[in-house]
Amino acid sequence: MIESLFVLSSTGKVIIEKHWHELIPRRIVDYFNEQVSKAMAAGEDVTREDVLPIISSPKYQLVNIYRDGLTYLSPVTKEVDPMMVFEFLHRIHDIIQEYFGSVSETIIKENFVTVYQLLEEMMDDGFPLTTEPNALKEIVPAPTMLNKVINTMGATTSVSTRKMPHGMSNLPWRKAGVKYNSNEIFFDIIEEIDAIVDSTGKAVSCEAHGTIQTNSRLSGMPDLTLTFVNPRLVDDCSFHPSVRFNKWDSDKVLSFVPPDGQFRLMSYRVNLSSQQNLPVQVKPSINVGANGAKFDITVSLRNTDGKALENVVLTLPLHKSTTTLTAQCNVGQYMFDPVGKVLRWDIGKIVPRERAPVISGSFGFGAAGSDAAANAGYNIGVEFLINSHSLSGLKVDVLKLFNESYKPYKGVRTMTKAGRYQVRA
Amino acid sequence: MYNVDAYLKSLTSNAVKLSKKVQDGIAENTRDFRFENQAHFLDTNEAKMSEIRNNLDSKYEKEKLDGMKRLIAMISKGRDVSEFFPDVVKNVASTSLEVRKLVYIYILRYAEQEQDLALLSINTFQKDLSDKNQLIRAMALRVMSGIRVPVISPIVMLGIKKCVTDLSPYVRKIAAHAIPKCYQLDPAQKDALVDIITTLLGDNSTFTIGSVLMAFNQVCPDRLDLIHPQYRKLCRMLVDMDEWGQTTAIDLLLRYSRTQFLNPIGKTTTAKTARAKKEKSNVKSFYSDDDSDVSHHSSESGSESSDDEDDGNNSVDPDLAYLIKCALPLLQSRNSQVVLSVAKLYMHLAPAEESYKIGRPLVRLLRSHRELQFVVLNNIVAIASQRPYVFDQFYQHFFIRSTDPGFIRNLKLDILTMIATESNITFILRELQEYVKSSNKAFVTQAIEAIGRCASNIPEMAESCLGGLLKLAHSKSDSVAAESVTAIRRLLQQRPADSVVMIMQLTKALDDITESSARANVYWLVGQNCAQLPTIAPDVLRKAAKSFCSESESGKLQILTLGGKLVAQEGVSSKTIHLLFQYVLNMARYDLDYNVRDRARFLRALVYGQQQGGAAGSGDPELDAHENGSDMEHGLHDAEHEDEDTGGFEQSEKELNLSKHVKEILLSEKLAPVQEKPSHGREQFTVGSMSLVLNRVVAGYEPLRDWPTVQPDPSVRRLAATMEAPGYMNDRTGFGSDSVYAKSRQQGGGSGFGSGSGVGSGSRYDGQAGPARGAQTLDKFLESSEDESDDSSDESDTSESSEEGETSEETEDDDEDDDEEAEEESSEEEEEEEEEASSSEEEAILPKTSRRANGRR
Repeated sequence: MIESLFVLSSTGKVIIEKHWHELIPRRIVDYFNEQVSKAMAAGEDVTREDVLPIISSPKYQLVNIYRDGLTYLSPVTKEVDPMMVFEFLHRIHDIIQEYFGSVSETIIKENFVTVYQLLEEMMDDGFPLTTEPNALKEIVPAPTMLNKVINTMGATTSVSTRKMPHGMSNLPWRKAGVKYNSNEIFFDIIEEIDAIVDSTGKAVSCEAHGTIQTNSRLSGMPDLTLTFVNPRLVDDCSFHPSVRFNKWDSDKVLSFVPPDGQFRLMSYRVNLSSQQNLPVQVKPSINVGANGAKFDITVSLRNTDGKALENVVLTLPLHKSTTTLTAQCNVGQYMFDPVGKVLRWDIGKIVPRERAPVISGSFGFGAAGSDAAANAGYNIGVEFLINSHSLSGLKVDVLKLFNESYKPYKGVRTMTKAGRYQVRA
Repeated sequence: MYNVDAYLKSLTSNAVKLSKKVQDGIAENTRDFRFENQAHFLDTNEAKMSEIRNNLDSKYEKEKLDGMKRLIAMISKGRDVSEFFPDVVKNVASTSLEVRKLVYIYILRYAEQEQDLALLSINTFQKDLSDKNQLIRAMALRVMSGIRVPVISPIVMLGIKKCVTDLSPYVRKIAAHAIPKCYQLDPAQKDALVDIITTLLGDNSTFTIGSVLMAFNQVCPDRLDLIHPQYRKLCRMLVDMDEWGQTTAIDLLLRYSRTQFLNPIGKTTTAKTARAKKEKSNVKSFYSDDDSDVSHHSSESGSESSDDEDDGNNSVDPDLAYLIKCALPLLQSRNSQVVLSVAKLYMHLAPAEESYKIGRPLVRLLRSHRELQFVVLNNIVAIASQRPYVFDQFYQHFFIRSTDPGFIRNLKLDILTMIATESNITFILRELQEYVKSSNKAFVTQAIEAIGRCASNIPEMAESCLGGLLKLAHSKSDSVAAESVTAIRRLLQQRPADSVVMIMQLTKALDDITESSARANVYWLVGQNCAQLPTIAPDVLRKAAKSFCSESESGKLQILTLGGKLVAQEGVSSKTIHLLFQYVLNMARYDLDYNVRDRARFLRALVYGQQQGGAAGSGDPELDAHENGSDMEHGLHDAEHEDEDTGGFEQSEKELNLSKHVKEILLSEKLAPVQEKPSHGREQFTVGSMSLVLNRVVAGYEPLRDWPTVQPDPSVRRLAATMEAPGYMNDRTGFGSDSVYAKSRQQGGGSGFGSGSGVGSGSRYDGQAGPARGAQTLDKFLESSEDESDDSSDESDTSESSEEGETSEETEDDDEDDDEEAEEESSEEEEEEEEEASSSEEEAILPKTSRRANGRR
């Protein structure tokens, strides 16, 4: 049972509180803030992210998540599956994001009446009730530009005349009576590469994960069947609740009645066997001496089907005792953050068969702790994006529509990007 | 001239007027626009309090809404605004839905404090319970049951009873949610509530059933007998419930199964057999055809029992196998809690050889949010400590990224050491050595410890682990060196056979090792194993004696011990050793540290006893004590006295005996330290629970029951066929998904159970509908919606409609179906005209388009 929720700002102040069961006094927030600052004072490289997600107080277990600078704190008194609490708290964040585009302290304050109503509908007496965005939007209308205009123009009349929605659909994820003039559905196949690459360029661990983000703008109750050219490429899938599991198991087709609007249809895993599959190679060399180090990093393209690499960014966190850094690079620009001790090299676009971007330079340690700095290892974070390229080669074949008579427009885009991609130097 | 002047004047004044007007207009408009921004409600001050009251009394809905928003703002800021209760309660019947919703929020918050006033609102709710809009009915019941005023519990009871038979599954869902609330309000109502739950358990709507099970778990978790007739239905519906319902259902079915079936988990399979089995079954594709899986399984268990007599009870009850099979697809849920629940089911219910199926999905969850990772990793630790083979092939996923937060790192390290096998240990070791480079000291320490644990888990790999550790012992970083020598020492204690070579290596490295505790560890090792190191040990002592002054306290203590041990080992024969030891003792005697002086005194007395100790030892302690007294802190006096006491004791007549036993005292076999895993003890808790994550019992935690030793009567679940839900509950629209298969499965499965042909019949559950499935799905999907709308229009005659529901369900004949539908449709159209889209329309999931489509067919 999830009894209460406090949403805290980055300074630990309560933005909103909601009690679904019994009142939990606010002082628990003070205790929580104390514990957080105590935990963060424990070491110099401890950040808010390092604070334990479950903190025990004498009476409560303080289950908390930290996202976008906000803390969602839910004190629970009794045994409950913590995964459910976390999943639900994240769901709240997702829903707020869905409603208002993004989540921040100001946005919650600006829309707190709506947020309050959402919290009321999502949970009943400590048990999740309605958590599907489509169903929620029927009960608590999302703020649209149109709503705003109506409210401001004919404010007094609109309040009483707004019709009570009563077409509760039996599919919790889909609204009843959706109507569009042009019926279209878009699939974005996004694949992310997670890799740890060692200094010789060999992948220590390497995997790609794909998601199919869908934007459905279809009228009525369409029943879709999506087939792939090569469904065997994917493995370990998880689906939106609308997808019929059995159909996938037996025929490898996705059969579903889509929710209205944006949703994640499925996510899957692609097995990458050899490092041949990595689209980019980063070759770092860092020679560390007693007082500083010389480094150079070369980035080269590989195996992208002739596509360009875009938004390439390399980040190199340096040891805390680093004080100075000089470097030059032939492409893009670099920046050294002397507070966070991070070197960020913004390369931009890399086109095949052009000269490889190189950055070289040196950095120096301050007097203190240079001994430890000399032994420390380095990790380079890599970000990039390749448009209309899918690492796995997954292709959508046909989209069939049943139950409605119109012919929908179907759009498919693919994209490959770096997920958690790390190169060890 | 004048004219022009006047003209100009009028012009300017007009312009001023105009501009003022425009300005006003803009100001007005902007104020209006700002209105949508709700933030300004949040800064309310005292002056506005009376304004709120005025707003609430206003005749304009708009102003009421304003006032309510302001109140809600105050509630969310934690202010007590209960004084407005009388003003708010007046608006409970407001015509504006928006106002009403806010009023409800307010009432729910303060009803407990203002019980009498809250009663004023009850009448409205009771009226609303008969509203034609399902959302209003549901809302009324929600608020009414949420008001925690004990007096109204009979009214809530009536409300629940009314809503339980509602045609809308949503309202029934709300009714189910109201049950535990009512129970809390008045526990005396329990029996009546249990009756209601019993009725609701017959509900066939996947929308409702999850909440019903939740109510069951809250009100009467021990009445598992009520589940008997519903068990197979619940298994079947599992895949179609909503995410939270699935979790609740799995919880309940797990508890149920632990009381109704014999333990199928079997003897804890060793990693090897499990892997062999896994490989065998991996030949068949994991997801491909469950049919083959089941038959495969049954044949396997058959062969097993012939192999091994003890595994006789390893055959799985068909009902239990069905549950396990029904839960399998849920591993593909996007909801982490559902996936973890299925993992729980597999861990506590399924035969051990099935558990490899949960590995991959659990590992998948590692890609989600930090907090979810935390929970998953904790559970993986618990699972891996019992069945490491579930995860050993996924070792790469537990490699640590530099961006992982601290609590994730530690858990991953733990898991890596647990799942290390001969095949993956080289990779894991290489990875662990990579972590040693981290700049986070605590992490480095743990990584080295982890290497040590790997070595002790896999004896075959210990040598290469030791090699790695030895390399680390040379590290420039003090903490790394210290930690690795400590790890080596621990390992060597467990594996005395390897010691000699290793220690020789270590002693060679001694010159490079600067860290004090590392050196101390080496001295101790040499001393402990001096019997096997007849040439090296004395040399180490020689070197140590030379550098004695520069050693740290712990180093000095260990050198003294080493000397003592050597002397004890060699007896009094070796002169050099004696002299060396004497030298060290003398150095120690004048050491600044009293611990060292004390140890020296103790050893001297112990080793030399009366021979020369009498002279050196008897007089000295007094003197030493005085010396110490001056440079010692006050608080330490007690300790010193104790030491003196033992000193005195030693000098008694027993000292003779002691010196005889010196060798036994100093060189006795030391017990190898048992390395307690940081995660130790987690496995005793239920997978997924809070107690497991925190590794201690949390209030309200209930351990799973032990399996029954005698098979309970399995026929109790066969009653399912005879039980039929009332018509309004038969709207098995499902979530547009698998309910059709479920139906066919029900028929196939039912006969399977009837014949009771054992495990083999499990394959029947599948009810392969063949390639024609796709078309059938759609038809049934539409048809079922017809059923429902029919029910809703035919409110008075539930019995008839239930019959209809039955027949339409049982007949597979398409023609008949069509006829029926045609009838239904015509009658429906008539009624629709009568009612003018009033009550019936809202229940229909598919608006007219679908009916038309049906008609065409």
